[in-house]
Amino acid sequence: MSDYSKPIPVPSIESKPYWEGVRAHKLLVPRCDDCGHAWFPPSRLCPNCNSSTFTWTQSSGRGKVFSYVVFHRVYHPGFTGEVPYVVALIELEEGPRLLSNIVGIAPEMVACDMPVRVVFEDITETMTLPKFAAAEPR
Amino acid sequence: MSELRDKYAIIGTGKSRLGRVEGVSALGLLEDAMKQALDEAGLTNKDIDGIVCRGPDDIYSHHQLMGQRLGINARFSTTLDNGGASQILAVTLAVMAIQAGLATTVLCGYGRDSWSRTNVGKDKKQTDKRQEPNLIPPAQRPREHGPEFGYFGAVAPHAFGARRHMFEYGTTREDFAAIAIAFREHATRNPEAVMRKPLTLEDYMAARLIVDPFGLYDCSLVSDGAGAVVVTSMERARSLKSRPVAIKGFGTFNNTKGWFVDDHMVSTAAAESAQQAYRMAGLGPKDVDCAQIYDCFTYMVLTQLEDYGFCKKGEGGAFARSGALKLDGELPVNTSGGQLSEAHVEGMLQIVEGARQLQGVYAPDRQVPGAEIALISGHGGNTVCHSTLILGKA
Repeated sequence: MSDYSKPIPVPSIESKPYWEGVRAHKLLVPRCDDCGHAWFPPSRLCPNCNSSTFTWTQSSGRGKVFSYVVFHRVYHPGFTGEVPYVVALIELEEGPRLLSNIVGIAPEMVACDMPVRVVFEDITETMTLPKFAAAEPR
Repeated sequence: MSELRDKYAIIGTGKSRLGRVEGVSALGLLEDAMKQALDEAGLTNKDIDGIVCRGPDDIYSHHQLMGQRLGINARFSTTLDNGGASQILAVTLAVMAIQAGLATTVLCGYGRDSWSRTNVGKDKKQTDKRQEPNLIPPAQRPREHGPEFGYFGAVAPHAFGARRHMFEYGTTREDFAAIAIAFREHATRNPEAVMRKPLTLEDYMAARLIVDPFGLYDCSLVSDGAGAVVVTSMERARSLKSRPVAIKGFGTFNNTKGWFVDDHMVSTAAAESAQQAYRMAGLGPKDVDCAQIYDCFTYMVLTQLEDYGFCKKGEGGAFARSGALKLDGELPVNTSGGQLSEAHVEGMLQIVEGARQLQGVYAPDRQVPGAEIALISGHGGNTVCHSTLILGKA
């Protein structure tokens, strides 16, 4: 894993608990204690009602592909051998949308609204990424 | 806001050389464009008491540097930060400042050296360390929730919108191609345009993919260039030797909750911005004789055609393929070639083009015959900011 050449996330003050969750193979999102709204990326106030109390809540890890693109151009040397690769906007069952990769299937098999589930990829001793694989509809 | 309709005017426009302009900085290009705008307005630096401008994201307090270079002490002076929506916002802010009594004559403009700075790495002899092949200053680049998945650049967010639009409405790459081809056709008539070789559907389809669904010709150019306009009251404009263009309406809206939220990527902030501008101008989409639409990518034109009410949501592709966008079509769009084929100067050239079409300065093969109303759009920031300007023949 020491030869990992892609960008490694640099957690912010707000996102640190999220990345610690991912490291433990749990997808945590902030969920408002007052209105129940879940959001991403993490921030201090609920974007829906601006309440300042929220709880890190584990997502089911299930969702759908809201949209996706296929990178053919290499923007970073770490992805030289990866193109073409898919970056997707995943809509979790709980509502928030987040960027990730679709793994395990060819880019031409990816479609909007296809069901997906989270899979965790340990990229270094201390960092894990949440990626998504095709799932059965439910 | 309708009480401001026709009370203010653009009285001079300017453009620098465009494309690959060696030996001139981003600030220098804007000096050229501002000087041309002043000349056209019949004014000098002594007549200007307001500056609203913008340049590359790493130039701090840009307006102060322009004031220094042009020798202007300004009563009202600032730099904007709404990406491609900033340039129309500069004109809007100029009107607001004059209306509030903070200035009388405001110089607005935008200049960049994007071609020179992104191509510097390919020339090994160039060792200026301040320049590097990335337009986003290092401190502003995302460090999580994107780059780790290989998500970089401005192409991808727009490509996400294009893909979702294709899914929801059956839009195709042929629809995007019709936009790129129409603007290229306009560029062949514009001696200042960077890309003047006609483009065919075969060329479009054969070009390399960048971030699918976008290929090379869906993406705007990387350019050096600048544009500028002078804004003053219509009353003052009438006393000058210039050929004024009336500011009939403006609007702005920002989907600042985010591009990825709700339906923002398929129904953009242009919709609300348009309604404000139409209301102020007392006009609707049917009154527009030519439109200069922010075309960072083909898809952004397609969705804006819908959001501005030139056609129904979901019908932008069919509208583009009908030939409507061509110079002799129902709604000539981006008559200079736009950012896809003339040069990408963050929407500033679109303002210049709209004003000049209404001044009727062009040769017949490049002029929209009898153009009385021009609509101009600006889009940018993190893809969520939008602004609209409606100009009229004065």
